[in-house]
Amino acid sequence: MVFVTGPLYSGKKTYVKERMHWDDETLARLAVWDVQDRAAGCTDLARLADELSQKEVVIATEIGGGVVPVLAEERAAREAAGRLACLLAQRADTVVRVFCGIPTVLKGEEVQ
Amino acid sequence: MMVTLVIGGAASGKSEFAESLVLHAGDLPRTYIATMQPFDDECRARIRRHREMRAKKKFETVECFTNLEQLNLPQKGVVLLECMSNLVANELYSPDDAGEHTLEAIERGIRHLIPQCEELIIVSNEVFSGGCDYEGDTLRYLRVLAQVNRMAAKEADMVYEIVCGVPVCHKGEETKR
Repeated sequence: MVFVTGPLYSGKKTYVKERMHWDDETLARLAVWDVQDRAAGCTDLARLADELSQKEVVIATEIGGGVVPVLAEERAAREAAGRLACLLAQRADTVVRVFCGIPTVLKGEEVQ
Repeated sequence: MMVTLVIGGAASGKSEFAESLVLHAGDLPRTYIATMQPFDDECRARIRRHREMRAKKKFETVECFTNLEQLNLPQKGVVLLECMSNLVANELYSPDDAGEHTLEAIERGIRHLIPQCEELIIVSNEVFSGGCDYEGDTLRYLRVLAQVNRMAAKEADMVYEIVCGVPVCHKGEETKR
């Protein structure tokens, strides 16, 4: 599994499509994105990470870079999103961070 | 001709780094394209302070709040455009400006600028890692600024992310400075 992360609107899906030579339909079939949203309220993040890892590509937006949210619910959601990203990175063969449209491989080797 | 994009969060040291690139560009005329509109006294005080700081470093300041594609520079040399985040906000929200066509307008602006420079350094803001829970129109602004940043990164020979004052090179061959 390839785990792709990066800031909001940094070009993560565009990168995956170009790199894998996928169209939108293939992307929808073989990849899953915005997985940070699925972490909120999840009682078993490890299991969620296992399930998501069945996909060829898993994409998450980094959301932990701002000020700690005032609302407890948002704090918990942000925390869970960060933990989920760590679990996905552990399970991934390749981890790529896309910044400003430019990929950096953080773990493993970029898909050829 | 070299284009460099410098991007970083608030108070990350991106301006200092960008200025150091200008100073290292050698003995060329220095132009600063300022994009911040003086809305109030706080803005005006900030602008005055920055202008004085730059005058000591022999910068000529040119203001450009919108419509970069109409800007004609007084001299060819090293040009510092700061900051893209202001220019995008100006284009997106000023009544008579590019609005929905902000990305295209700024792209044309940069292409218009490049032949007027020996070296162009563009500064922009990293504001995309703090989540996506924003009120009102903020997400639209973030989306357009991100598109502009990616376009600028494509145009650029060098892309630096500044983290705690330390430049991380994402594109191009880093030279010892």
